[in-house]
Amino acid sequence: MTKTLTYESISVGDAMPTFISDPITRTHLVRYAGASGDFNPLHHDETFVKLFGMPRVISHGMFVMGIVGQAITDWIDDKNLRKFGVRFSGMTEPMDMDDQNSKERATIVVTGTVVEKYEIDGEKVMRCEINAADKQGSVKLTGSFVAALS
Amino acid sequence: MADKTKAGMVFPPYTFEVEKGKIAEFAMAVSQKESKGQVKQIYADSGKAKEAGYTDIVPTSTFQTCFLLWGGGGLMPMLQDVGIDLVRLLHGEEEYEYLLPIHPGDVMTGVTKVVEMYDKEKKGKPGKFMEFTVLEAEIRNQRGELAIRARTTLVER
Repeated sequence: MTKTLTYESISVGDAMPTFISDPITRTHLVRYAGASGDFNPLHHDETFVKLFGMPRVISHGMFVMGIVGQAITDWIDDKNLRKFGVRFSGMTEPMDMDDQNSKERATIVVTGTVVEKYEIDGEKVMRCEINAADKQGSVKLTGSFVAALS
Repeated sequence: MADKTKAGMVFPPYTFEVEKGKIAEFAMAVSQKESKGQVKQIYADSGKAKEAGYTDIVPTSTFQTCFLLWGGGGLMPMLQDVGIDLVRLLHGEEEYEYLLPIHPGDVMTGVTKVVEMYDKEKKGKPGKFMEFTVLEAEIRNQRGELAIRARTTLVER
């Protein structure tokens, strides 16, 4: 559960608790496709991606952003989120069930750091920079969010 | 190649009715959970959401992506309207500003506009350009109040 973060208790340089996803599987991608309505075959149909010389399907970038969103709202209350933006930098391949070594490339590690504290429109907020990479260190996205503090 | 004369173009509005089941389904997807009982309960249970200080269930932070994909004709026809080459397309950036909460029963209407189109020379490849198209969407509830502002940057590499 999230606990209340206060303006006084947060300092620039503080780290957001590190979040580690489950290894992304093709089943996760199918579930996300159905939930979001993004049925681009790039994300579920191996016979389609092979036409483009890709070895396997890739995750929706927005699924990775969704995972990062969950990492953020594990730390701050959902109602305190004011802004959330990302820049996508790398694709994510799901794990292959017959290759345990593929788990690392499919596991998303989300980290974040408080970079700013300020008041805007009478509200105390912090801005945090965030980074999502897989367990091999390959960066998937970078970005930031702004959250209200009490 | 994106058609630069489309800068400023406004797409027809799309409408999406927010349902409890869809909020929970989306939360399960981004939380990588198999059931409603495993997600944070403010996404699935009205009573628990109220105990946590919310008016009702709320969606997860990227839920609004399904307003366009489920509520509108989808992204593909829009991209074709702007002349974007789908084979070269990458999702570059996505940004949300949250202005008002969204709850089950709300009827959201989104209007998307092409706000910017520009080229940027590729690093270390003089004369080769990447093309950027920036879309901004204003998403309002049934009372006409602006709830979310979304900004999407598409890149043709």
